[in-house]
Amino acid sequence: MSDFLQSYGFLIVTLIQAGLLGLSLYFPLMAGQLSLASPGFYALGGYVAAIMLTNPAFAGLRDTLGNGIFPLTWLAAGLLCALAGVIVGVPALRLRGIYLALATIAFVEILRVVSLNLSITGGAIGIFGIPQAFGFQDRWQYLLIFGPLLALVLAFTYMLQKSRVGRAFRAIREDELAADAMGVPPTQYKVLAFVIGAVIAGIVGSMSAPFLNTWNAKQGTFDASIAILAFVLIGGSRSMWGPVVGGALLTAVPELLRFLQDWRLVINGLVLVIASLYLPQGIVGALAKLRKSPPPARPPIAPAPDAKGGTL
Amino acid sequence: MTAAVPQPTSRTVLEARNMTRRFGGLIAVNDVSFDVREGEIFGLIGPNGAGKTTLFNLMTGLTPPSSGTLMYEGRPVLGLAPHRVAALGMSRTFQNIRLFKALSALENVKIAQHTRTHAGLWRGIFGANRAEEAQVERRAWELLDLVGLSDRAGEEAGNFSYGDQRRLEIARALATEPRVLLLDEPAAGMNTSEKGSLTAFIREVRDKFDLTVMVIEHHVPLVMNLCDRVAVLNFGQLIAMGDPASVQRDPKVIEAYLGGE
Repeated sequence: MSDFLQSYGFLIVTLIQAGLLGLSLYFPLMAGQLSLASPGFYALGGYVAAIMLTNPAFAGLRDTLGNGIFPLTWLAAGLLCALAGVIVGVPALRLRGIYLALATIAFVEILRVVSLNLSITGGAIGIFGIPQAFGFQDRWQYLLIFGPLLALVLAFTYMLQKSRVGRAFRAIREDELAADAMGVPPTQYKVLAFVIGAVIAGIVGSMSAPFLNTWNAKQGTFDASIAILAFVLIGGSRSMWGPVVGGALLTAVPELLRFLQDWRLVINGLVLVIASLYLPQGIVGALAKLRKSPPPARPPIAPAPDAKGGTL
Repeated sequence: MTAAVPQPTSRTVLEARNMTRRFGGLIAVNDVSFDVREGEIFGLIGPNGAGKTTLFNLMTGLTPPSSGTLMYEGRPVLGLAPHRVAALGMSRTFQNIRLFKALSALENVKIAQHTRTHAGLWRGIFGANRAEEAQVERRAWELLDLVGLSDRAGEEAGNFSYGDQRRLEIARALATEPRVLLLDEPAAGMNTSEKGSLTAFIREVRDKFDLTVMVIEHHVPLVMNLCDRVAVLNFGQLIAMGDPASVQRDPKVIEAYLGGE
């Protein structure tokens, strides 16, 4: 078991990381908003953690808290990304479709250029020598924080989807104007979906900075935006399992095909093309079609106060 | 010119005064004033392009007005966002059906209960919304029963026939718990037998939910049977208003529909 973790632990952590970033993009998509801002918030969250863990200004805090500093970096990254999400989201979400995508790419680029030029972010060199989380000796031990985070985000997503807020997201995705006319305020929920995505990406970033040991402006780029979008499109954008499956697959395939050397990127490209041609709903979407979902069960005429809802 | 505003015999629910909407040089709705009384079924007719749907869009916040006022129960409506109008108690259907097509019939009706429910993000995440969800579920099924679609609750709304989609839209509009229901061409796309039962259905809904109903409709027999009063729009202006029989005899109305000398 430990041999397996020694060999594949790093890869598995990377798969989970990809799935989480896919989920961060999936949230705005639930409300019909194509945002490519995830790498920006991921980079931001990483910088927050890297600065808190290495900057002399936080030395006192680190000494006082010991390992407690790590959860604090997650919290700080989440809060800062929520704030940044509101600041970016409110004006950007006035745009629709491809224009929103372009605006969010601009946000990622602005953050990248700013971080290249600030001294607190280490300029072009970035921040290095970030201490390992909780004194982890091996990379696979990061499964102990990324695994629970994935489980938590999936549980959060599952509960959200069947709640009133989830219905509001879907209504906006289907027809924003009709949703508005039926009492769902679109702007409020679009910003909420965007902010949830930002917080997830930021926390993933704050956990990734110690994992990668170094953090620089290459962490949040346009390439990453497209890669994360591919996770969601290949996996499926209509189910929370889509981004997880897509993220894991698109991260694993190039690694597992390493023996093919340079050809592996060709295979990776082929997977993308074939999947988008033959699985327009994504892998999970195609699988879901095979399984007919049962008709919703009607609740009893006079249900008890704690009666379960239908299947939705 | 604007027709004189009649003295309402019972309580006035909607009070439109000088409502105007210009699109560039076109005056789609021109200085329209009318009162709608509580509980009545108020018809809005007129030739194509007369401004009927634009008037509905103004009333429900989808199109901002150029000028004028609309009071609902003494509160101003014009200028409010659509979801605020829905929260006030005015709901509508659309001429070109705007259901959430990829979602199930049941979910369409659940979504529209948004303004009458309160569970926020965290109550949903921690499952502290059980009682409210059960209520939403129950109401959604009741409304589907009302429009005869409960045995197809799980089907995607987009797969329904036109007639069924129109009925589902009415169920969805009712889910917002309105006091005023605005129906934009409810009979369009319905077959003859569906049209025949629509009059009784709209009356039943009005009585059951204590509604005031405004309806845009082209199908003349339906308007004549259904409406207590009818207003006629032509080129954005109100040219006649009154009981269906007298409006039908009005020379100005005949001229609007058939063309003058």
